[in-house]
Amino acid sequence: MKVSKKWLNDYVSINDISSVELAERLTIAGLEVEGIEPLACKADLVIGQVLTCERHPDSDHLSVTTVDCGDKVEQIVCGAPNVAQGQKVIVARLGAVLPQLTIKKAVVRGVESCGMICSLNELGVDEKFLRPDSSAGIEVLGDDAIVGSDPLVYLGLDDEILDVKQTPNRADFNALWNVAKEVGAIFNRDVTWPDCECAASVGKLTELKVGSTTLGCTLFLGKVINKLTVKESPRWLKERLMAGGVKPINNVVDISNFVMMETGQPLHFYDLAKMSVQEITVMDQRAGKLVALDENEYELLDSDLVITSLGKVIGIAGIMGGDDSKIDVTTTGIIIEAASFSQVSIRNTSRRLDLITEAASRFTKGIEPLAPFKALDRAVQLLVELADADEFEETVQFGEVNHVDKEVRVTLSHVNALLGTSLTMDEVVDALARLHLRPVVEGDQITTTVPSFRTDVVIAQDLIEEVIRMVGYEKVVATLPLMPQTIGLLNEQQIVRRSIQRMLTSLGLQEVVTYTLVKESFLEGVLPMADPIALASPLSEDRKYVRNNLSQSVLEVVAYNQAHKNENFNVFELSQVYGKAGSQWRLSIALNGELLGNPWSKQTIKSDFYALKGLLESLFAQLGFEGSRLRLLRNELDHQNFHPYRSAVIQLGKEVLAIFGDVHPNLAKNKGVKNVVMAEVMLDVLYAQSPAKIKFSVINKYPKVVRDVALVADVKLEVDTLITAINKAGKPLVQSVEVFDIFTSSELGADKKSVALTIAYQAKDHTLTEEEVSMVHGKILDHLAKAGAVLR
Amino acid sequence: MKEITDVKEAGLAAIEQSSDLTELTHVRNEYLSKKGLVANLMSGMKDLDASMRPAFGALINNCKEELESALREKQESLAIVALQAKMANDWIDITLPATDFPVANLHPLTLVQQEIEDIFRSMGYKVVEGPEVELDLYNFERANIPADHPARDMQDTFYVDAQWLLRTHTTAIQTRTLEKSAKDLPIKVVCPGKVYRRDDDDATHSHQFVQIEGLVVGENITLADLKGTLQLLAKSMFGEARVIRFRPSYFQFTEPSVEVDVSCHICNGKGCNVCKGSGWIEILGAGMVHPHVLDMAGIDGTEYTGFAFGLGVERVAMLKYGIDDIRHCYINDARFLSLFKRFE
Repeated sequence: MKVSKKWLNDYVSINDISSVELAERLTIAGLEVEGIEPLACKADLVIGQVLTCERHPDSDHLSVTTVDCGDKVEQIVCGAPNVAQGQKVIVARLGAVLPQLTIKKAVVRGVESCGMICSLNELGVDEKFLRPDSSAGIEVLGDDAIVGSDPLVYLGLDDEILDVKQTPNRADFNALWNVAKEVGAIFNRDVTWPDCECAASVGKLTELKVGSTTLGCTLFLGKVINKLTVKESPRWLKERLMAGGVKPINNVVDISNFVMMETGQPLHFYDLAKMSVQEITVMDQRAGKLVALDENEYELLDSDLVITSLGKVIGIAGIMGGDDSKIDVTTTGIIIEAASFSQVSIRNTSRRLDLITEAASRFTKGIEPLAPFKALDRAVQLLVELADADEFEETVQFGEVNHVDKEVRVTLSHVNALLGTSLTMDEVVDALARLHLRPVVEGDQITTTVPSFRTDVVIAQDLIEEVIRMVGYEKVVATLPLMPQTIGLLNEQQIVRRSIQRMLTSLGLQEVVTYTLVKESFLEGVLPMADPIALASPLSEDRKYVRNNLSQSVLEVVAYNQAHKNENFNVFELSQVYGKAGSQWRLSIALNGELLGNPWSKQTIKSDFYALKGLLESLFAQLGFEGSRLRLLRNELDHQNFHPYRSAVIQLGKEVLAIFGDVHPNLAKNKGVKNVVMAEVMLDVLYAQSPAKIKFSVINKYPKVVRDVALVADVKLEVDTLITAINKAGKPLVQSVEVFDIFTSSELGADKKSVALTIAYQAKDHTLTEEEVSMVHGKILDHLAKAGAVLR
Repeated sequence: MKEITDVKEAGLAAIEQSSDLTELTHVRNEYLSKKGLVANLMSGMKDLDASMRPAFGALINNCKEELESALREKQESLAIVALQAKMANDWIDITLPATDFPVANLHPLTLVQQEIEDIFRSMGYKVVEGPEVELDLYNFERANIPADHPARDMQDTFYVDAQWLLRTHTTAIQTRTLEKSAKDLPIKVVCPGKVYRRDDDDATHSHQFVQIEGLVVGENITLADLKGTLQLLAKSMFGEARVIRFRPSYFQFTEPSVEVDVSCHICNGKGCNVCKGSGWIEILGAGMVHPHVLDMAGIDGTEYTGFAFGLGVERVAMLKYGIDDIRHCYINDARFLSLFKRFE
């Protein structure tokens, strides 16, 4: 919302307050000022008169002038084609800082120049206020301009515009009158209005008929004025409109815009002569096309509110009138419309048509119930004053407004209890009175009578806010809640997720956060949740679905980083994924390159299947799940995303806890990633199970006996088969079995491999003898042979 | 007697001249072994007169002890030399590159989120989460945002259907918490989570972002309590010197509502680029829970009051670290993420 300081000063005296202070005080009171813009740049400018003007001896387009600047005469070289002797002009003096340049003494092709004669353009005046010829040359001022005085004052450009951010509850600030009242309240100053009450209650009998066949219009005021004169607006009116960002057109159109900005109520004027019948009805269900007064054609739907006359659509209600009935220089009589339209309906139509006019934006934000009456009065008053309006007909009204100012009550103790303050009754009453809320005190209770424009004040808490806004929030002294002590806790799931984050980052995995919304192809990811959720109105096909798995997003991160040569980037993400049936918490991991290493010493840990397997095992172990509770199986679940022969599933109980392994070559190609192993972990499966309890057991003090065996077995015989056989045969003495070497060679044969194992024996209650160990070891070798592995 | 002294002198000299442990072993063998020179002297004792024997024996013992002592000393000093030599031989080039221990870190959004969670946990708040695919009821209706409110427009909200949508704020978690805890007051929670708005992504807008909201409901909770709480938050996050100010604002969920500005941590309130010259940075929205919100949740607004506040995690992260484009938070470039190895 743009607020002109000069315009504001018409209603409340603020000329003694600097713009910066005004902005600060408004901001603190809830009207956040986001910027202060002067209409033209403030610089050292003066009105001068061109005394002489001669051709520059060394140029065919420059002139050498002498200009009377009041206090002295300056020689100025000027490049404008329209400069001439006798003109009154704007002179930027030496040292003046203009938007594009700073004025310095200069020698232009051998002639000294002490200043610049300016165009409005050069003063930073907004394009839309310039005449078409304004940029072609210097601005020539009228004869009444006084030499030596401030040209911005003369031009009415000595104004500053506050850009005020409006909160949605204060739609009343769409009326400058109401902003003035607020400013008056903040600075505790009187606010005065032009006296126009009942100005519209004049006129003879009328034939005009107005009405509505839709609930979208609840009030319609119409008034015929048979005689008026269309001409140029007086300067003050043009200045006000320009300050409000509206281009002046003629007095009648300008008055409708001025009244709208002043009262917040959009008006529409129809050219009386162009209306074949004096009948106006607001309707919907009138789909069709209309050429509006911006000369564009708009496609209207049945749901749009339209203005009709004799059934013909002549305007888009509350947004823009039709081209057929618009005011122009030939207009000699008008019909005024002041109506109330549905906020929602206007919002929908103006958004759909992308036609956010000043009128539409006001209707969209909401207008106080009495505004149409106030606006009509003010418009009639100004039309009489500025457009010689005469031969009025009486106002015709459709709909009733039975507005009664509402009473809202609050007690002093409630004010202080909610705010935590100790304000006095006087302070509270003063604040409310300044805001025209008319407080009446009875004991502890304050009864206010809320004026019609404060539609936002409904309950006691609204009044409390008004009080502290006026008193100032600095009066609130910081305290902390006095309540029973509570313990700040994370729940079990949050603790698990934080543990995972801590462990994985410690192991060198970077956490990533990716978008929830994905494209359709991402739905084919790892263990996708059934029935993916699609948005009804996505922004793009790329962000149409709520993701049902996590790995696709994480792979995309890997692809980006591989493409940018960010090597050895191992990542994980924790997030919820969704399907129509609900949500799941997932962990996705993607490894590529190396986990850690030192190239020159050849010590590296590759990010491969076994690294990921180990990572997951220690992760689960640290979360309290290990040993026989976990089962490792070949991956038979997903051969789309994973390499079918280099991937596995980990089950916790009967549930799939994780699936991991090499990315399927097709997916890798598709995603543009290389050498990636990934995992998707179902955290809900973890959440559902209790982790193992930590329990002390006696530390075995008897020595271990270690035996190595080198075996030859079929190349596809899984090592786990051998370890299981050893554990079974060696029970209870086998304490651990470790694989320390695996190799294949031509000597062994193409389908054979060598497996070297270290078996550790230990008894709980005595030192093992050589005989005991040999006996068990021999038994183990027998079992290994049965399992398909013989001593090498 | 002289031969004893001679052996001793010769032995001491031989020990002194040994240049390594091998030579020293030879000397030991020559003098102190079973058939060594000292043992030989001992065997001469049987030829002596009985009265001479004690003195002779004492001399030999003295000779033996002195040699042994000299040997021990020499051995120790030679061992030191040998170790020095061996270590010198084990010289390494300390300038070769280290073995890489990769250090990774949490995503900056997680870091900021957890920092805020932990500040409030230390004040006794629980961390509560909720669904991102949410009912209109909890996201809008219960947050006091009525059916025709512009925020409910299809243009601003990702709807799934008439009932379901992607939550547009973590207020949805608050409305669920209010309902759940209506009969189990007081409430003291922070609610972090991803939220979604139908915005085109650019440097300052993201269709997905992270919010944290806080909610306290109990007896005699005041706006002053809100101020004190947020003052603590501002100080913990941006430094002890920070102060806050309240400005009136408007949110459906609260009445009164305030914007909370924190004095600029870059310029200390003097005015700079970050605070656009004002000395203040707008960080939070807050207020006293609207009585209608309490009422809808089944909480008696005449008996209980509450405050609520909310902030955007990206905004805090961007301010704290000077991040110029919100999209960095979602591209996950290793070079960006690794900046946050160190958290401050």
